[in-house]
Amino acid sequence: MNHFIGLVGTNSDNSTNRKLLQFMQKHFSDKVSIELMEIRDFPLFNKPETDQLPEVVKDAAEKISQSDGVIISTPEYDHSIPAALTNALNWLSYGIYPFVDKPVMITGASYGTLGSSRAQSHLRQILDSPELKARIMPSSEFLLGHSLEAFDEENALIEHEQVKKLNGLFEDFQVFVDLTNQLTNAHEANKQEAKNFNWETI
Amino acid sequence: MKLVGIVGSNADFSYNRLLLQYIKKHFESFVDIEILEIKDIPLFNQSHDQTNSAPIQKLNRKILAADGVIIATPEHNHTIPAGLKSVLEWLSFKIQPLSNKPVMLVGASYYDQGSSRAQLHLRQILEAPGVNAIVMPGNEFLLGKVKEAFDEQNNLKEQGTTDFLQTCLEKFVKFIKVVSSINEPQKDLSAEEDLEATGKIDTTIEGVDMSAEDWVEQASEKIDAVQGDTYVKLNRGILTVNQLNALLASMPMELTFADSNNQFLFYNYTEDKEEMFAGRVPGQVGNPLANCHPPATYKNVKWVLSQLRHGNEDVVRIHVPTHGPDKYVVHSYQAMHDDTGNYMGVNEYVLDFQPIIDWYLQQTGQRLAKDETVEVDATSSASKKQEEVDSVSGASEQATSEVDSVSSASESADVDSVSSASIKS
Repeated sequence: MNHFIGLVGTNSDNSTNRKLLQFMQKHFSDKVSIELMEIRDFPLFNKPETDQLPEVVKDAAEKISQSDGVIISTPEYDHSIPAALTNALNWLSYGIYPFVDKPVMITGASYGTLGSSRAQSHLRQILDSPELKARIMPSSEFLLGHSLEAFDEENALIEHEQVKKLNGLFEDFQVFVDLTNQLTNAHEANKQEAKNFNWETI
Repeated sequence: MKLVGIVGSNADFSYNRLLLQYIKKHFESFVDIEILEIKDIPLFNQSHDQTNSAPIQKLNRKILAADGVIIATPEHNHTIPAGLKSVLEWLSFKIQPLSNKPVMLVGASYYDQGSSRAQLHLRQILEAPGVNAIVMPGNEFLLGKVKEAFDEQNNLKEQGTTDFLQTCLEKFVKFIKVVSSINEPQKDLSAEEDLEATGKIDTTIEGVDMSAEDWVEQASEKIDAVQGDTYVKLNRGILTVNQLNALLASMPMELTFADSNNQFLFYNYTEDKEEMFAGRVPGQVGNPLANCHPPATYKNVKWVLSQLRHGNEDVVRIHVPTHGPDKYVVHSYQAMHDDTGNYMGVNEYVLDFQPIIDWYLQQTGQRLAKDETVEVDATSSASKKQEEVDSVSGASEQATSEVDSVSSASESADVDSVSSASIKS
C-alpha cells in the first residue's frame, strides 16, 4: 500500500483545503494511507547562514522522503500560493532536497469560483525550480470552487461529479507514482543539481 | 517625488537591499527614496490577525504617504520569497495601502536571470484585487550575476546598467504622474461653460449690445451683412439669402443655433412664440444663453453644452412630454464642428417624432409593443439628468400643450393616404 503525505497548503485554523485532504484520507483509505502534514509551525524563512535547520523542517523533510508521493492542497491568496506554503517550500529546499523526483499531485479549494487555479499554476512553476524539482503529475487539475458549500456534515464532498473527478485523478496519480519510479535515469543528476544549487557558494 | 523602496528579502545580507541602497544614493538629486525593511513582519496567518502591530502599521503609513513604491525582489524557487509574499498578504488582508499605488519592480539574482520569474509572479500578485497596485509595464530591471555587479563602494560597476536604471526611474516618475491623473476624480467641465458669453471668438460681432431687441439689425448693419437676393456660396451649392431662409424655414422642425461662445445667433423664425414647441421671440437673437434660460436651469444647460463641447456626446436628446399624448416632442442638441473638428457651437432642433413613427408603422405594417424587459425613462431620454431635464431646454417651460400647428400635416388622414397611395400607384 502506498503511503502519501497530504500537505495542507495553509497555516490558517480553518481551511477547506485541510478538509479536502481529510476527505481524501478517508475516502481512499482502503487503497492508500495518507498522512496529513501541517506547515503552521514552520518559522519564517530568512536564508539562515548556518546549515542548522529547525526540527519541524527536518521532520517534515524526513516524512516526505519516506513517502511514495505528496498531495499538496493550496488555497489562493492574491493570485498566488499563500506565503505560508512558499515559506514551507523555501525551507524544504534549503540544503535538503526531499522533493527531488518526488511524485506530486496538486489540488486546491477556494471560496470563489476559480478553485485556486492561478495559485496552482504558480505552484507548478515553483515545484519545477531546480531546488525542488518535483515530478508534478502533468495535465491534471483538481479545482474545488465554492468550497464552503462543498462538504456535508460528515465532511464528505457533496457533488457526485466532483467525487468522480477526484477518483479518476487519484487513480491516475497512483499510476503516475508507479511510472515515476521508473523515471530514475536522471535521478542522481537531478539530486546533484539540486545540491549544487547552493544559494551562497555559486 | 517621495518614493519608498521595499527590500523584498528578510535575509541579513541581501543584494536586493544593496541595489535599493545604490538607487537611493545615486539618484538622490532626482528622487527621494526611503528604504523599508520587511524583516520584522511576521508570517501571515489569517487566523492570527496582526494587522495592527507596529511593524505592519509602519509599513502601511509609509506606503500610504509615498507617491510610488519600488520593490526589489530576489527569486526563491522560481517565485518571490515567502517573506515578501507574507508582507503583501498583510497589506491586502484588512488594509490596502498599495491600492492604486504606482509600483516599479527591480530584482537581483546570482544567475543571469535577475529574478525574472519572481518578477512575473510579483506582477500577477500585485494585480490581484486585494492588493490592487498599478505596476509600471515594461522596463524590467533584472540585475543578473549580482555577485560581480558591485564594486567595493557598493556602486554598480557597469555604466550601461546605471544608465538603464536611470531611464527606468525617469519613466517611473512620469508613470506616477500619469497614474495620478487616472486616479483623479473626473473634473466637472460643465462649470466652465460661460452662459454670459463674455468671451470672444472669430465670428463675434463686437460693439453691439447683445441684449438689444434689434441686435440683428444693428449687428448686420455694422458688418454690412448680405441679404435678399445676394448669393452666398455654400459647401456644395449657391443660394441667395432668401433661398437660404426659405430652406431653413421649410425644415419640419424648430432650428436654433448658439455659437461656441454660447451666444444665441439664429432660429428659423416661422411662427410666433405661442405657436412653437419651444417658444422663441425675435428679440432673443444675439442674447447670451444666460438670457434665454431661467437661472434655475443654468446647471443643466451648462451640462449639455459641456457634453457637446468636450465630445462626450455628439447629440443630447431630451423628450419633453408637456405637449400631450399625441405628440413625441424631442429637443435634440447637436454638436457642430468645423472641417478640422473644432467645436463650433450647438444646433438645437425641436421635432415631434410622432408623425414619423406613425408613418413608419403604417408603411411597414408593424405595431408598437412595449418591451417589458426595458425600463424606459418616461420623462426623458437624457437619463443622466432625468430629474431636471425638462428645464434643460429654456424654451420648454414656456411651451404649451395647445401648440400643435407644426405637426398639422400628420393630423389629416387624407395626407397620409395620399402619400402612401402615390407610392404604390
